[in-house]
Amino acid sequence: MHSILAVDDSASMRQMVSFTLKNAGYDVVEAVDGEDAFDKARARDFDLVLTDQNMPRLDGLGLTRKLRETPRFKNTPILILTTESSDQMKQAGRAAGATGWLVKPFDPAKLIEVIKKVVR
Amino acid sequence: MNNATASCASALALAAAADLQDNLLTATNDLERLQTLLDTSHEALQGGFFGALQLLQDLHDAGRLDAEPLGEARAHLASAVKALQFQDMATQLIAHTSRRLHNCADQMARDAFADDDMAMFEEAPLRPNPVTQSEMDTGFIELF
Repeated sequence: MHSILAVDDSASMRQMVSFTLKNAGYDVVEAVDGEDAFDKARARDFDLVLTDQNMPRLDGLGLTRKLRETPRFKNTPILILTTESSDQMKQAGRAAGATGWLVKPFDPAKLIEVIKKVVR
Repeated sequence: MNNATASCASALALAAAADLQDNLLTATNDLERLQTLLDTSHEALQGGFFGALQLLQDLHDAGRLDAEPLGEARAHLASAVKALQFQDMATQLIAHTSRRLHNCADQMARDAFADDDMAMFEEAPLRPNPVTQSEMDTGFIELF
């Protein structure tokens, strides 16, 4: 079973993401912000990181940069799921090392489709 | 303009500024109430959503619901996931707008009333509103 680290400071979003991923058969670990996610990522491997962008302490771009600096997560797919739709932010995501940019609200079926594409 | 007229104009400008500041603060209070209403209703919706899911699973586990209708019911509930993200987007929108309104009111206090108490000064948001969606259509997906 593939494991996914789902990061969002909104409890309701975490629940929605977890429900969608678990429903599709993934093992899900939740984190409340980038720092929490980085701590959890240091403790174990994940097949994919799905993170929000705007969060306290450490945002999605910051988390992506930190994970990319960690050899174990150099090639792990990182998807940023956010309300931010500007081209500037999207390019910042790409520069940080994200695998893809997904704008909220997400459609469960489409989210799973994308995850299947990037998780090997 | 003689001194009396200037003084009168200044008093009117101050009264207008005070009125505007009151309205800005009323608007921020209204937004706070809106946030509370939104959170309360969302909690109820989400509670119902996950309650229904749990009930279906319990019925299935007890042998009272076959896998096929369970799957169909779960698929129907999954379609509500997109709509349930409204609370998160609205919360970000409200927070950003509240911060902007607070900043306007604070700036007015500083500029019109020479209120130099910067301890409570709300800074303007550094970036534009992150929520630009005006509909609940699915957002775009781009793989790099």
